[in-house]
Amino acid sequence: MTNQETPAKPKFRWTADAIYCNLSYLTMVLPGTIWLILFAYLPMPGIIMAFKNYRLQKPPADYWIQNRFIYSLIESPWVGWDNFRYLVLPTNLNNTITFVRNTVLYNLLFMVVGLVLSVLLAVIIYELTNRFWAKLYHSIFFLPFFISWVVVAYVVYALANHTGIINTALASWNLPPLEIYKEKIYWPFIFLFANIWKYTGNGSILYLAIITGIDRQLYEAAAMDGANKWQQFWNITLPQLIPTIVLLQILAVGRIFGSDFDMFYTLPGGSALVRDVTTTIDVYVFNMLRSTTPLGYPAAVSLVQSVIGFVLILVTNYIVRKTRPEMALF
Amino acid sequence: MKLFPAKTRTARDMLSISPSTNLFLNILMVACSLLTLAPFYIIIIASVTSEASLTANGYRLWPEEFSLSAYTYLFREGSIIITAYKNTIISTLAGTVLTIILVMLYAYPLSRNNFRFSTFFTFFAFFTMLFGGGLVAYYMVMRQILQIQNTIWALFLPSSFSPFWVFVLRTYIKTNVPDELIEAARIDGASEWRTLIQIVMPLSVPGLATVALFSAIGIWNNFFNVLLLVDKVELYNLQYTIYSTLNNIRFLIENASRMQGVVNLAELPSQTFRMAMAVVTIGPIILAYPFFQRYFVRGLTIGAIKG
Repeated sequence: MTNQETPAKPKFRWTADAIYCNLSYLTMVLPGTIWLILFAYLPMPGIIMAFKNYRLQKPPADYWIQNRFIYSLIESPWVGWDNFRYLVLPTNLNNTITFVRNTVLYNLLFMVVGLVLSVLLAVIIYELTNRFWAKLYHSIFFLPFFISWVVVAYVVYALANHTGIINTALASWNLPPLEIYKEKIYWPFIFLFANIWKYTGNGSILYLAIITGIDRQLYEAAAMDGANKWQQFWNITLPQLIPTIVLLQILAVGRIFGSDFDMFYTLPGGSALVRDVTTTIDVYVFNMLRSTTPLGYPAAVSLVQSVIGFVLILVTNYIVRKTRPEMALF
Repeated sequence: MKLFPAKTRTARDMLSISPSTNLFLNILMVACSLLTLAPFYIIIIASVTSEASLTANGYRLWPEEFSLSAYTYLFREGSIIITAYKNTIISTLAGTVLTIILVMLYAYPLSRNNFRFSTFFTFFAFFTMLFGGGLVAYYMVMRQILQIQNTIWALFLPSSFSPFWVFVLRTYIKTNVPDELIEAARIDGASEWRTLIQIVMPLSVPGLATVALFSAIGIWNNFFNVLLLVDKVELYNLQYTIYSTLNNIRFLIENASRMQGVVNLAELPSQTFRMAMAVVTIGPIILAYPFFQRYFVRGLTIGAIKG
């Protein structure tokens, strides 16, 4: 994604001459730059909240900046690693471990299953002999990408509430009802299916585009030499897909401590009984933010999340760059 | 690039899968397609079934008694859905236009080799994809510094720009707008702004449409920022309105036994009404889908592959 194909770019320096020459370009990037500063860079200094006993207070009238957030950020007392210690107190340790485990395991599950199914779908759609049907299937699989998780929560509820489709059917066969909002066991499957449903079609687009771009002569030559479809896949198709797969997985590894907040928050609808299998770090932070917990605690979790994500992406990228430099992200 | 090219005759004979495999894969795909479409079918059918027959017989594959009363009730005078619709449409339109402007203006200079600061601004945007201040700081900045809570801005401003879209569009311009064309415009005396508006933009329509669709979907489906930044009912968008309705109903039903006399279950929004809410929420997205899809696949694949 970064500039690799820049042969002799003039070296950038903030000289008056360079600015003058590029004045119109600089004006163009200005609005986007302002957006990035306001919505991405401005919150960054806020990470120091993790090391403070942060309380939101009104600044005194003679203070140099009349903003409650900034005043409180600067003037709240430093507490070192206390906020982090709070998370591993005996009373909280179980929660912390559970939520980290949920986040990482769900992410790994979605990464692996998503990758396999997306590639599989792309290969199948490419191999189908009738183009019209291939196109139609793909349009259908892509459709759920546009549906919000709130609507999915409606569907889950319609399927599984007391008078829902599944329980009506079970009742007519004299079977006990499915209590998805009370029993934990169903949730990993619900999340997995919902995730597959929503993202597989979208995930396969890129792979399909790459497969379509592979030179047909490679396959013809392989078929001539007697390679079957399976061997062709492993020796021609897959190697062509690997760079893209690696790229997307590097980015996914960086997000391993993040999660699809909307899904984990809306689908269980805040049911306390299934909290242990539906709460991810993001949901945990949000719940703390909304409760009376001092803000330093969720800030500490957020910081760990950001830093680990950042380090993971650097390390993964470093390893990839050392072994296969052409596939590295940067 | 075409995603579904017609296969040539000669290649097909040797390389195509056997008819029986083809048949098997088609059956598999039809089954998966039906599964994918099933949730849409369920909520649409439930929304046009009469409430009485839904309560008496439960969900059916085909409604025993048609009724559009849920929809007429939904769009009655003064309904919260109408306000929510208005907020959602305004924020989606404003946000999409803003996205197009912001992303186009940021992506075009980055695609030019004679922009001396392109490395700097590429990194400036890319870094935000790797590292962030976290939810708590974001929440505090939005509420205490920018103060966009409980304004219409909260519905679209935080989701109207993304470095990822910039890189998609930049790559699209690099691969699809010939340098010679921009060079020629410059020699003919066109300013950078004029080149952008009259030459580059018309040639980047698929890339721009992709970004616009991404943005429109994101804002239409925006739930998180409303949850975080909006406390006023009159500013709720569709997603948040239907979310809070579902949650309230579920809470009331689950606790109905403990609150007897307080809640009259018969007065709660009916099941058909709820399903109709879900249908009107996804409706416009589904209707826009065929128009955008053509551009979308092209813009996404070209923009992202070469990156």
